[in-house]
Amino acid sequence: MASISLRHLRKHYAGQAVLHDLSLDIKDGEFVALVGPSGCGKSTLLRMVAGLEAVDDGEILLGRQRLNEIAPRERNIAMVFQNYALYPHMSVAENLGFALRLQGVRPAVRKQRVDAVAEILNLQGLLERRPAQLSGGQRQRVAMGRAIIREPQAFLFDEPLSNLDAKLRVQMRTEIKALHQRLGTTTLYVTHDQIEAMTMADRIVVLKDGRIEQVGTPLELYDRPRNAFVAGFIGSPAMNLLAGRAQEGGRVLTDDGLLLPMPQGLKLSPGRAVWLGVRPEHLEVTAADHGLRAEVQVLEPTGAETQIAARLGKQNVIAVSRERIDLRPGGTLGLRPMASQLHVFDQGSGARLN
Amino acid sequence: MHAEAALYEPPFPSDKPRRPGWLRRHGRETAALAMLAVLLFPFLWMVQLALRPAQDAFEPGLLFVPTLDAFHALWQDQFARSFGNSLLTSTLSTALALLIGVPAAYALTRWRFRARRHVALWILCTRMAPPIAFTIPFFLALRWAGLLDTVWGLTLIYLTFNLAIVIWLMQSFFAAIPAALEEAAWIDGCGVWSAFWHVTLPLTRPGLVSTAVLCFIFSWSDFFFALILTRTQAVTAPVAIVNFLQYDGWEWTKIAAAGTLVMLPVVAFTLLVRKYLVRGLTAGGVKD
Repeated sequence: MASISLRHLRKHYAGQAVLHDLSLDIKDGEFVALVGPSGCGKSTLLRMVAGLEAVDDGEILLGRQRLNEIAPRERNIAMVFQNYALYPHMSVAENLGFALRLQGVRPAVRKQRVDAVAEILNLQGLLERRPAQLSGGQRQRVAMGRAIIREPQAFLFDEPLSNLDAKLRVQMRTEIKALHQRLGTTTLYVTHDQIEAMTMADRIVVLKDGRIEQVGTPLELYDRPRNAFVAGFIGSPAMNLLAGRAQEGGRVLTDDGLLLPMPQGLKLSPGRAVWLGVRPEHLEVTAADHGLRAEVQVLEPTGAETQIAARLGKQNVIAVSRERIDLRPGGTLGLRPMASQLHVFDQGSGARLN
Repeated sequence: MHAEAALYEPPFPSDKPRRPGWLRRHGRETAALAMLAVLLFPFLWMVQLALRPAQDAFEPGLLFVPTLDAFHALWQDQFARSFGNSLLTSTLSTALALLIGVPAAYALTRWRFRARRHVALWILCTRMAPPIAFTIPFFLALRWAGLLDTVWGLTLIYLTFNLAIVIWLMQSFFAAIPAALEEAAWIDGCGVWSAFWHVTLPLTRPGLVSTAVLCFIFSWSDFFFALILTRTQAVTAPVAIVNFLQYDGWEWTKIAAAGTLVMLPVVAFTLLVRKYLVRGLTAGGVKD
């Protein structure tokens, strides 16, 4: 196992910059998730680490070894592809053992290691099958097995769960995390699903337009997003961002005339345009006359909690309540933001102000 | 009387569901068999002609005592040698075309260099003119190289045509293989060509086989170039057949026997590789 360092990476496609001066250190054994909207450069970055894309500028280090000029096959990095990329003409056992065969490992030893990996991933009964005869989840496991059998320095995952159905995705999420805890291999995991990132990663890197917006542990990103983009991207349902202007006395006047509190101790010059951010679970749901009056639009009960899409002034907000509330679309309710849980971002730069 | 009865038949179906007639039930098969008979007639006629005694070659009726005389006569003739020449030129030109053309097609598919499309087009150019346009240049070139009337000379000519077929057909087969499979192979420890050998090539096997069949048939059934570029030593079977049309009479049964023999390898070859022509080998490795 080894650490991975990315130093001032740049990448262009046809004159268009895809990654701008990107630097990141991944510690030995760490599980880092790269998240961001599509087109943010996360897959390109992963492919550069794998050696499938050339590095235009900057440096990639695995431990102390510079990888830039090293062919993928000599990098000792394994990758799990989004579409699995299993060899269709080989059985599961052959797929798993392919890398070992190329290394010249003797058939007897190879079989031992294939069996060991099959046991870890629960593939024992399937070794003679072809990929076409497997279910999505089984193919996913074979793809992972092909990676772990090599005992590489690092694992790269490129949206490995995006082709699975919701239930299987949750199950595989747990399996991948358990696998990481067991093997302790440095892992770089690309996903567009922030829940995957939150639940699995030691640290999350949020990317947008080829730049890192924030790096931190899942809860750091959730509790103190560095800017409005991260605030909106991390968390589901997303944070409510209300446009407004700072007022005297530590308040914010929203664009449609609501007066809201600001976090304590934050002093902003009056008239400054800000986003006031409040997470759905920090909007307390009360009776209509006890908070900000809002109109219920849609109720989404999930059992454990109910998501309430409501209209507050002219803006749409989402609140989450764990109580069984008696509301109907069209009815009114009161919303009370918790003053200690508010986030304030500059409207121009998006930067956090509190 | 009967016609009248038919006229008064009620225009709606009776209570009892009518069984569809024989023609309705077997119409499709009958039509297919009829068409097959029309298509196969020349071949079947040739085969029966080959088996007839030379005296009653054109007797009507199919009642005759089959004989292999015509085949025996062929073997005592020069025909065996021509047949060997045909086998040799066709096999060699097909094998060489695959050996050179398959890697070329792969490079043209995967390697994005600037002149890629131009190169591919120029390769096809060799097939754009009618073959007769190349006859004189080929003749002069082979004479200059001392390859006239040699198996190698003819192989070389067939190779020029087969290469274009191989490169163009194989390009589309390679393009259909997802690049992710090769990338996975690189990461697993392959270089560019070992990934090609272990992953891409096995997946294009059906395409490879059908391409080989096409090349073989082209070389095998060529008459024109063989007629012009050979004289005695490297004569191929199709040209040798013409030699049975002589001043003192046309040896019809020998012609038919030779024609049957010429057909055989192609039929056998196609039947042999038929199982590889089945598609669907790539299914399931990559989720669409």
